[in-house]
Amino acid sequence: MTTQATSAPAVARGRLRRVRLSGLAQYAGFVPALVLFGLFFVVPLALIVGYSFWETVDYNVVHHWTLDNYRYFFSVSTYVSTMWATIWVSVAATAATIAIAFPFTYWLVRYVPRSTQRLLLVLVILPFWTSYLLRVYSWLNILGDGGAINRFLMWAHITDHPLSFFLYDRPAVILVLVYLYFPFAVLTLYASLERFDWNQFKAAMDLGARPHTVITRILLPQMKAGITTAIIFVFIPVLGEYLAPQLVGGAQGVMIGNLIVNFFSGAQYTRGAAAALLVAALIVLLLIVFRRSLEVEDATRA
Amino acid sequence: MSMTEGKLTRADLLKAGAAGAIGLTLARPAFARTIRIDGVTLNMLTWSDHYANDQLKAVSKTTQIQGRPTLFSDNADAYLKIKQTGGQFDIVSGDALWVPKYNKDGLTVSFPLSELSVSKQLYPIARNFPFWKDGSNYMGYPFSWSTVQIYYNPKYVTTKPNSWHALLDSKYKGKISLENIPTDVMAIAGRAIGAKEPYSMTSAQISQAKDFLKQLKPNVLKLASQNNEVVRALADGSAWIGITNLGTDDRVKDAGGPVVKTAYPKEGTIGFIDSEQIVKASKNQDSFFKFENAMQQAPFIAQNFITNGRPLFNEKAYKILVNTGHGDRARRQYYNKPENALKMTIKGPAGDEQAYVDAFNEVFGA
Repeated sequence: MTTQATSAPAVARGRLRRVRLSGLAQYAGFVPALVLFGLFFVVPLALIVGYSFWETVDYNVVHHWTLDNYRYFFSVSTYVSTMWATIWVSVAATAATIAIAFPFTYWLVRYVPRSTQRLLLVLVILPFWTSYLLRVYSWLNILGDGGAINRFLMWAHITDHPLSFFLYDRPAVILVLVYLYFPFAVLTLYASLERFDWNQFKAAMDLGARPHTVITRILLPQMKAGITTAIIFVFIPVLGEYLAPQLVGGAQGVMIGNLIVNFFSGAQYTRGAAAALLVAALIVLLLIVFRRSLEVEDATRA
Repeated sequence: MSMTEGKLTRADLLKAGAAGAIGLTLARPAFARTIRIDGVTLNMLTWSDHYANDQLKAVSKTTQIQGRPTLFSDNADAYLKIKQTGGQFDIVSGDALWVPKYNKDGLTVSFPLSELSVSKQLYPIARNFPFWKDGSNYMGYPFSWSTVQIYYNPKYVTTKPNSWHALLDSKYKGKISLENIPTDVMAIAGRAIGAKEPYSMTSAQISQAKDFLKQLKPNVLKLASQNNEVVRALADGSAWIGITNLGTDDRVKDAGGPVVKTAYPKEGTIGFIDSEQIVKASKNQDSFFKFENAMQQAPFIAQNFITNGRPLFNEKAYKILVNTGHGDRARRQYYNKPENALKMTIKGPAGDEQAYVDAFNEVFGA
């Protein structure tokens, strides 16, 4: 009896432990991501936040709490105007990227045989096999005074001297950004369009809808989440770009990332941290705005 | 197991993989130990023109010391990196008056120059820069020097620009290229407005320098991240004027570009004298001497001159250049006149770096 009496709670304890362990086990897959983001995202972010409220004195980061870095940023019109310039360049580049990527992906999914689709997708991501820097540099050889476009124009006798307006200004930055982020948009849109039931398309056409109506009333509403994701994937990294504007934008194509880099290369970590956080705040704000668009709705809902 | 039948189940594959991983894990310490005994890696925080990959390979072969470079552009950036990363770097390159700052702030250690037998190959003047002396020790190993001057394409720039103010002419709109180093660009502007100490300008002088840069901005084609971009812009004709280091004329020519000429502004200019320093927190300080003794040998330095164009302090390398038919080029770049290095305003920390960077950003922002 005594043995039975003591073994029953022991069994219950063992069962409880097993339940707890299995409860913990379901979080096991979460641990690597937690460690990774904790160490390499949250901690550095916390440091940047700290830096943004400190000050730099004679190349030393002094832990003296202040709002000066933020105050400075808003008190100088150059930063506000550079921020606006960055936003409009990012909007223009994102709009152009989606405008080119969407018809391409539509054609790819709807009209290209599945086996060829894979090949074309590989070709789309082919530039990723080379370095980012190389991809941007290659545009100097296309747009520059001695570049391919100018050589062609001179060969065709359209001009007798190199035209310099292709490079070192905002249009060049936008063009290169579209080239750089086109694959991101295509891959995201492809994942979304591939799941689309084209029978709906055919049914609507059978009922007399014009192609334009079918696209705007049936396809696009169901692609909303995919398009929003593509916009986020393009817009956010473009907002923080500094290398492309540095290489092809010249003195007139500066974006906010370039000014932040100047702060860091000039050892002004505290100013740089504040500016970087303001860009991050803008991104968070945009994600909140886009959040609703990412909620997938039932496409067949009346 | 069904291996004999030539089939491998998924479970077998996983077991084999796990066994292999365990085997490799067990074997790794012995393997790693071998590597550690045979070689040392020195982490260098430096500029791209301080080494060549072939040179690093050759030095690694003879000394068993591998140099691993990390690049920087602005001295201020390197200074703070060394300050914050401690012993993660073993060697740091630094310009002129930055060297005493590193030393005074306890980030680098000085050493007897005689510890490096290769120092006998240096011009005597390079062994006696007063600002690098620390008693009988030296704060860094002298490497190269250059003034920063105006290079112009005479095809488009018909009047020699003998003043920084000549660059404000609207006919040069979008035709000037210079390096994106805020402190140095501000110092050049300081020279233009007549500041005697362009790296320690007063607030009023900083304001004047900023006004000068505002006038210059429309003429700036590009703020280059690396010196070779200025060379490229001059070579392909997109820039008519470059504000850059000695030797650019030869590098433009080597790149297939036009003949470009030099102009020294009457207001004076800035320049650099750079060196290799030992990081105080480095655990490999002893290896510095063996490594630099190999890296600084005259044949490497002569090749460095041919590649990068600006003069260096190794006198023996100059003799090699003369003997191999590059004497004219070396003399044209003042390689044989190291005393010229002391005639310019040498680079150093800004009195108020934040004010310099702020002013620069306020001009060159959108």
